[in-house]
Amino acid sequence: MTTATLEKTAAAEAPRKQKVILAEGNEAAALGVALARPDMVSVYPITPQSSLVEHLAKLIADGRMDADIVDAEGEHSVLSVLQGGALAGARTYTATCGPGLAFMFEPYFRTSGMRLPIVLTIVTRDGITPQSVWGGHQDAMTVREAGWIQVYCESVQEVLDTTVMAFKIAEHHDVMLPVNVCLDGNYLSYGASRVELPDQADVDAFMGEKNVNWHVALDPLRPMAVDPLTGGTTGKGPQTFVRYRKGQCRGMQNALSVIEEVHADWAKRIGRSFAPLVEEYRLDDAEFAIMTLGSMTGAAKDAVDEARDAGKKVGLIKIKTFSPFPVDALMKALGKVKALGVIDRSVGFRWNCGPMYQETLGVLYRLGRHIPSMSFIGGLAGADITIPHVHRVIADTEALLNGAPAPTEPVWLNEQD
Amino acid sequence: MGRAYSTIAFDPAKCDGCGDCMKACAQAKTGTDDVARSRIQIYGREKDFELALCRQCADPKCVTVCPAGALNKDGTTGVIGWDASKCVDCLLCTVGCSYAGIALDETAGHVSKCDTCDGNPACVPACPHGALKYITTANIYNEVGDWEDLFAPGLAGCQGCNTELLMRHTLRRVGPDTVLATPPGCVPGMGSVGFNGTTGTKIPVFHPLLTNTAAMLAGIKRQYKRVGREVQALAIAGDGGASDVGFQSLSGAAERGEQMLFMVVDNEGYMNTGMQRSSCTPYGAWTSTTPVGETSRGKTQDAKNLPLIMVNHRCAYVATASTAYMEDLYEKLDKAILASKTGFAYLHVYSPCTTGWRFPSNLNMEVARKAVETNFVMLWEYTPQDGLHFTKSVDNPLPVTEYLKAMGRFRHLAPEQVEHIQKKVVENQKFVERMTEHAHVG
Repeated sequence: MTTATLEKTAAAEAPRKQKVILAEGNEAAALGVALARPDMVSVYPITPQSSLVEHLAKLIADGRMDADIVDAEGEHSVLSVLQGGALAGARTYTATCGPGLAFMFEPYFRTSGMRLPIVLTIVTRDGITPQSVWGGHQDAMTVREAGWIQVYCESVQEVLDTTVMAFKIAEHHDVMLPVNVCLDGNYLSYGASRVELPDQADVDAFMGEKNVNWHVALDPLRPMAVDPLTGGTTGKGPQTFVRYRKGQCRGMQNALSVIEEVHADWAKRIGRSFAPLVEEYRLDDAEFAIMTLGSMTGAAKDAVDEARDAGKKVGLIKIKTFSPFPVDALMKALGKVKALGVIDRSVGFRWNCGPMYQETLGVLYRLGRHIPSMSFIGGLAGADITIPHVHRVIADTEALLNGAPAPTEPVWLNEQD
Repeated sequence: MGRAYSTIAFDPAKCDGCGDCMKACAQAKTGTDDVARSRIQIYGREKDFELALCRQCADPKCVTVCPAGALNKDGTTGVIGWDASKCVDCLLCTVGCSYAGIALDETAGHVSKCDTCDGNPACVPACPHGALKYITTANIYNEVGDWEDLFAPGLAGCQGCNTELLMRHTLRRVGPDTVLATPPGCVPGMGSVGFNGTTGTKIPVFHPLLTNTAAMLAGIKRQYKRVGREVQALAIAGDGGASDVGFQSLSGAAERGEQMLFMVVDNEGYMNTGMQRSSCTPYGAWTSTTPVGETSRGKTQDAKNLPLIMVNHRCAYVATASTAYMEDLYEKLDKAILASKTGFAYLHVYSPCTTGWRFPSNLNMEVARKAVETNFVMLWEYTPQDGLHFTKSVDNPLPVTEYLKAMGRFRHLAPEQVEHIQKKVVENQKFVERMTEHAHVG
């Protein structure tokens, strides 16, 4: 199985020795949070996120993390407490998923509007109904139009490293937006793997000074009214509203380069690099590609390796940053292939395809290329996406390349499991 | 701003001429039962009584006519004092006074007048009917009158609304080192947070969601506590945002003992957004979602008693208050602010809505007062240490019709609906009384 690329960079100052541990994704996320030194975490349990906040509580109880922990009475208040904390200058963190994220939506949408750099891990879970407590991207996908940055992790190590980086991205002066670190429920949350734990001093140097409420604050030393009613039919109100929205969109676009810079800085200081927006795997000489998101990428890379061994000219495109959608980076990757199969772990009800597939069609239009493509949906409600599943994707996409008609419906990978 | 003074007020409608006040005065001042020597005199008969008592005038004629300088107004207490050593017994002062407030005490052989018993007048508690009151609200004026008003002038409340008064008083009291949360409703509706980049408040203020006021404030307070800064967290919320959709975050913050003062301005409905029903709307009331029609006669359920629910959170402080009883409100505000330094303090203020309750805008105080006088609203306070006790007597209430008839929202009530409301008033009174009894037994 291929994990994240471990590419040691020759840095001027070599990273300090890293402790090697065995950790599940939820524990790795908690350790990443501790390294980022938040002032406040607010928690509420929900499967499969619960062990993450349990780890946080234990880290604080053991004195390994100096943060105020607020055991709120529900996710709605969890995020609201953090909004208050951030407005008073706190670095803040929480995690949730599925129904918890749905319950949180009212303050969730507002967080990006207030430009609060809160980091929230979504331990992704499928949507109910049918009732389900297992993994799937439906929760994170459902809130993709709420102005949050959303990054998806492939491995437990990437979870830990990305969690720290998320704070730096969120708090960047040109971004000031909340960030979701999405880690696959079950696969990454409970999947134990070897993890290298960066040294705290290296992380401190990476993080730099905290300044989370320079732009909006509730502070008697610099009184301001936060969120007066804004809008109306014409004039100053709607003009101001437009400025807010344009600012959010600009922050999202700025995030694309900031995410790249932060990943580069992390590689330099910590010694591990990950593709920040889009990863191209064996793509340069590929004739067609499959596209993945999150933990399914490990199995998909193995399948691609096997297919390559069998002489198929297939490559892989992995999206890490889903919001903002990495249009330019994806155009560069899509320009290299003549057919495409996109695997989603959630459902786009409106287009009867996967959401990532639907977004990718827009990129192809902008690229001016009308290549044959297909939507595959798999891994719902905890279902496995195995190497054989990916081989089916490769085979179907190769058929498109060879002139087979593209189906108008998605292929449901686990329908016959 | 000048100075205000405490004063004895007389309500002739409540007086039956029993003379107990005069007996008390005679006892206090002369040690006898000779009511002729009392410095308060009640004249008249049946229902037509008048008061002869020194008004402690601001421009006292008795003082200006005195040729000996024996009478003087005390600048601190406002009381006009008489100095026996200077008096020449000319009695010009008794001619000068229009209120018969200074008169010859024939037994003593010189004039006598009320000195308010040094701020504790004996006549007032002696009155069995509450016709006499010692009004001390001047203290509020003297104490806070010079403090900065932290709201801009001209907030856009409805004419006659008490909420603006409440907001100004509350903010003056908490002072500038405060973060104020005003969830959607009348308080931001009248411009406290502001519109399109302007604001009506001079301290940090924000619109939380209707649902998360207590949670957001908790986060703010905790962070300041973490960095060692003393900042007051204050919410001024409506009843809808507290008792309905905002209740979860309110309850959660109270259970965690978050350090804040949460004030609910209860106008018994969603008045800012069009006068719809809330769970605090009383039985029978017209609202825009409990209209009166062929098949409907107002709200069919009784109101939720939110302050009692907060008592069951064992908050550091819980109290009910009314804008018609500002002194009581002020005392509770002080206690609530103090309690919020270490725990969750909850203050529930009943605030009539001229627009939504349908009564003339000049009658707000009167409606608020009648609510208390009929026991429709009861004023009490609670702490975990001392339990619950009334701060205003609930004995001898007026019939609830005295309250109901003041408002258009109850105009349609059928006799059986009025009967239901009266029954509930008595039931609620007994319920809260039992809680005060429990407090006494500890």
